Amino acid sequence: MEKDLVEYIAKSLVDDPSGVDVNMIVGEKSTILELKVSPDDIGKVIGKQGRIAKAIRTILSASATKSGKRIVLEILD
Amino acid sequence: MIKEFEGRNEQEAIDRAVEELNLKREDFNVEILDAGSKWGLFKKSSVKIRIHVNEPNIDASHKPARDEFEKKVTEYVKTILSKMGYPAEVHIAYRRDNKIGLTIISDHSGIIIGKKGKNLDALQLLVNVYAGLLDDSKRVIIDAENYRIRHEEHLIKTAYKSAEYVKKYKRSKLLEPMNPFERRLIHTALNDIIDVETKSEGEGLYKQIRISYKGGGRRQ
Repeated sequence: MEKDLVEYIAKSLVDDPSGVDVNMIVGEKSTILELKVSPDDIGKVIGKQGRIAKAIRTILSASATKSGKRIVLEILD
Repeated sequence: MIKEFEGRNEQEAIDRAVEELNLKREDFNVEILDAGSKWGLFKKSSVKIRIHVNEPNIDASHKPARDEFEKKVTEYVKTILSKMGYPAEVHIAYRRDNKIGLTIISDHSGIIIGKKGKNLDALQLLVNVYAGLLDDSKRVIIDAENYRIRHEEHLIKTAYKSAEYVKKYKRSKLLEPMNPFERRLIHTALNDIIDVETKSEGEGLYKQIRISYKGGGRRQ
């Protein structure tokens, strides 16, 4: 499931895996995933010019196509 | 590798290629570009050929992970793919210098690769960030169905075609936006071709290459 996927990826990139939390908000057509990490780790999940965040979103949408859903990833700070 | 040679006839051009590249005749394929002018009594006719050197095939036999790093990285790719809903096998295809090449074997290769390799690139980026945490001297290349090799060949082929166009019509041509690795491939490939030059235009990661004509001769 996508929530699991984001959690796994985020935990693999940060210094403090215990600070990772993913909240899922299911809507009618699209699902929102809110990713929270420790303040010091925010840069690690966003990356230079958002490269990592973009890659996570790409992977997410590839995963979502099989069920035809739309998934939005929001990184909270 | 692709290079161009010229000679008075086909054989001479081939001989020149053999000599200069220090290869055997069976190591490359020959494409005849310009068979020389048949008219022009005084003009020395020449034949232009393009050499396609056969690269040694990457060893297709799969190697087992031999250290903790390789085990962790292959496991990482496998886990992400299975959480995406596309279970796959991940093998080590090659090791070269500080790079290791992984290949994904799955029934879902199409979606794993994505449009223009988008998904494969995203996955490769994440894996490299992760791998960098384990050992920052190593790079990981991810492939599925030999997509990367096929894509490189396709890019180079398009570049040559565009260069021919530029030479013929003496007009510049702008290629599609490409990442630095892809651009480098094209710059290098067209570096050996006389009469054209390449420059990158634009800002950011994805710049465009312009191929332009720089030949001095009015009539060749």
